[in-house]
Amino acid sequence: MSQNDTTREKRRSKFSEKYLGIVILLLLVFAFWAVFKILTPANFGTPSKLASYLQSCLIYAVGGCGLYFIVVMGLWDFSIGANVVLSSILACYFSQKFGYAGLIMAPIVCGTLIGLLNGIVYIKLHIPSLIVTVGLSLIYESLGVFATQGSEQVLSSSYRAFGQYPGCLILALLAFLFAAFILNYTKIGTYTYAIGSNEYVAKNMGVNVNKYKVIAFVLGGFFIGLMSILTISYGTSMTAASNMSSMSRNFMPMMGVFVGLAFRKYKKPITAIVIGEFIVALLFNGFVALGAPTTIQNVVTGIALLLIVTVTAKPVKGAVVK
Amino acid sequence: MSEEILKAESINKYFGMNHAVNNVSLSFNKGEIHGLIGENGSGKSTFVSMLTGIESVDSGKFILNGEELHVKNQVEANRNGISIIVQEMGTLSGLTVAENIFLGNEDRFVKHGIKNANAMNREAQSLLNKYGLERINASSIIDYYNFEDRKLIEIVKATYFNPKILVVDETTTALSQSGREELYKQIKRVKENGNTVIFISHDLAEVLKLTDRVTVLRDGVLVKTVKSSEVNEDDLKKLMVGRELNGKYYRTDYGKPVSKDVILAVKNVSVPNEIKNISFELHRGEILGIGGLSECGMHEVGKAVFGASYDRKGEVVLEDGTQIDSIPTAIKHSIAYVSKDRDNESLVVNDSIRDNICLPSMDRLGKNHILLNKNLSKFANEYAELVSVKMTNINQFVSDLSGGNKQKVALARWIGRDSDILVFDSPTRGIDVKVKADIYALMSKMKEQGKSIILISEEIVELLGMCDRILVMKDGSLSGEFMRDPALTEEDFIAKMV
Repeated sequence: MSQNDTTREKRRSKFSEKYLGIVILLLLVFAFWAVFKILTPANFGTPSKLASYLQSCLIYAVGGCGLYFIVVMGLWDFSIGANVVLSSILACYFSQKFGYAGLIMAPIVCGTLIGLLNGIVYIKLHIPSLIVTVGLSLIYESLGVFATQGSEQVLSSSYRAFGQYPGCLILALLAFLFAAFILNYTKIGTYTYAIGSNEYVAKNMGVNVNKYKVIAFVLGGFFIGLMSILTISYGTSMTAASNMSSMSRNFMPMMGVFVGLAFRKYKKPITAIVIGEFIVALLFNGFVALGAPTTIQNVVTGIALLLIVTVTAKPVKGAVVK
Repeated sequence: MSEEILKAESINKYFGMNHAVNNVSLSFNKGEIHGLIGENGSGKSTFVSMLTGIESVDSGKFILNGEELHVKNQVEANRNGISIIVQEMGTLSGLTVAENIFLGNEDRFVKHGIKNANAMNREAQSLLNKYGLERINASSIIDYYNFEDRKLIEIVKATYFNPKILVVDETTTALSQSGREELYKQIKRVKENGNTVIFISHDLAEVLKLTDRVTVLRDGVLVKTVKSSEVNEDDLKKLMVGRELNGKYYRTDYGKPVSKDVILAVKNVSVPNEIKNISFELHRGEILGIGGLSECGMHEVGKAVFGASYDRKGEVVLEDGTQIDSIPTAIKHSIAYVSKDRDNESLVVNDSIRDNICLPSMDRLGKNHILLNKNLSKFANEYAELVSVKMTNINQFVSDLSGGNKQKVALARWIGRDSDILVFDSPTRGIDVKVKADIYALMSKMKEQGKSIILISEEIVELLGMCDRILVMKDGSLSGEFMRDPALTEEDFIAKMV
């Protein structure tokens, strides 16, 4: 092969490495949009409707960015829902006292502290992160109940800038840029992947594995804090959860993370998370437009998720998957 | 008198009850390639793991250039000028090639907490180019490259900073000829710069060709250090096992006829991208060899016979007409298979020797579907002892065993199952001569009992020594057949292989 061919070959493979994943995802977005648009042209997919789907997708994608750091390492965080509930309640409370400063700072601090606690308990107890976070989420839920005595917390109408455009979009974009920056331009990003790939080798290379696992949980918590700002601003009220009822809030951020993981080799995980959440939002709203009951929506969304990941991950025959 | 650069003083390491490295004192010279050989479990890898900070030292010390070494991990070892290319996969998925090369050393590209990925990629690419690896793209995710390329990237990672001591731990088995040449070139470059290479390999010919001196370890104890120019392979073998072997561990019989009964027939078997239209017959009491280059498809033939191939076409038929097309059918009809990939495809390493041996015979060890511990232990003990597995007891985990003993466990389970057709894929790969001799003896005994063996092997000498008949493969097809004959040479064989 001549030098020229090699460079051309390289350039082509570089293109496919960098952009192919995003192109596939965008095609999927278009395909789902087109299907529902044909089925219910009047109720679905107008520009204003798309903007509203995007708004809900942004909320989950911000949380997904945080969860991504944890899941890439092979760990789990099932306390996202409880974190969002508690952080949102605190956001309401502190916004009454300190205005926007309280609305922004309270959930960020609360979310980050919860992440730190998750990380420390996981490291100290040496038990699976899934169990740690499920156990702790019961405690976080209860804290919310104690704090509110069960009454609904409403965000005052004067502090709802993040519940609409452009506030929500600006906050979300800042969050995405920050996540991408950490992944690509700091050691944390490199070490996150290194630990996820082979913890033992990473340790031998001098990576302080426990430290970076805690950092992942802290980052996770920080992004859940940001997600809480968007959640309470969009929903305007929050009631404390109990008996694990916050658990259902874990799954939407997770959907985007799965897509991000499946498209990880294209090196644009954050973009994949956002588009992935948008696809899920399209599906949900598509079924709403069709008038399908929620149960059917859940079934179809679950199947769509499995399909997307299966098709993109191209499972190797005989490979062990756990 | 050459100058000493590194000295090991009374190094000890215990793994539980096992004294893995026993009071080893050893000196390495500047500009020397120093071979380290020994049976599996003799302590070679443990010794270099301690030197490179992968394992901690229990007692004793390493002295580099007159100063005592204290390293806690590989990166610290690198900073002291010591690097290692490990036996297994040493690169990390999900990271780019550049990130892998500089893992643990990215601080040179970090300013105020911000990593300069472009500078890192540029530097990695210029390193790769310097090694003649222009085809590898530094900014690509390493998952795009195959095992061999990833090994080459590891070589770059381990040698680019001109280490004073380079450890090469059993790396060549993973490489093709061109990959080996590249590794040899780098080893020689390190030596020419006046630095030292510690070279671990089971391939004694390779060790003699490459090294200046060789140190032999046995059961964690240093046996002797010899000059490579003054010894031959047999001398080394003798030192390794502590007794004469005379290369006489193969079968010595020639000219004995093999039964005419066809016990298994392979008819026009193809597997996409692996093998094309393979047909052969296996006779009762026959040891049938299959050889060729590593990528010729012979390993897939073993899987195909065992019903473990995907998208297989063609037939594998037993003498009574039974079609073998799945693993359960194969096992039910007394076919055994020992994979080349011991740790991933053959053994459940995170489980006990007992469970590993009993695994395929569970159906015979229970009563009304209820397993009795007593039966399992009795069964496992019987067959572990039959193949003389070196273990504390059958409850020991397989992950604690050395390569050779792991292989014995894999063989014991099929002997216990009393299989009639045994497919052995590279059964002696990475195994020392003593266990090899044991395995050959077992195979001869099975042959006498009328069992049939398909021996797939990359070692031509082993095929010539053990088989009644050898099939040669090339590019997925059969390319030749040899009958057992003392006059047959490696050269005859190689002519059909390449």
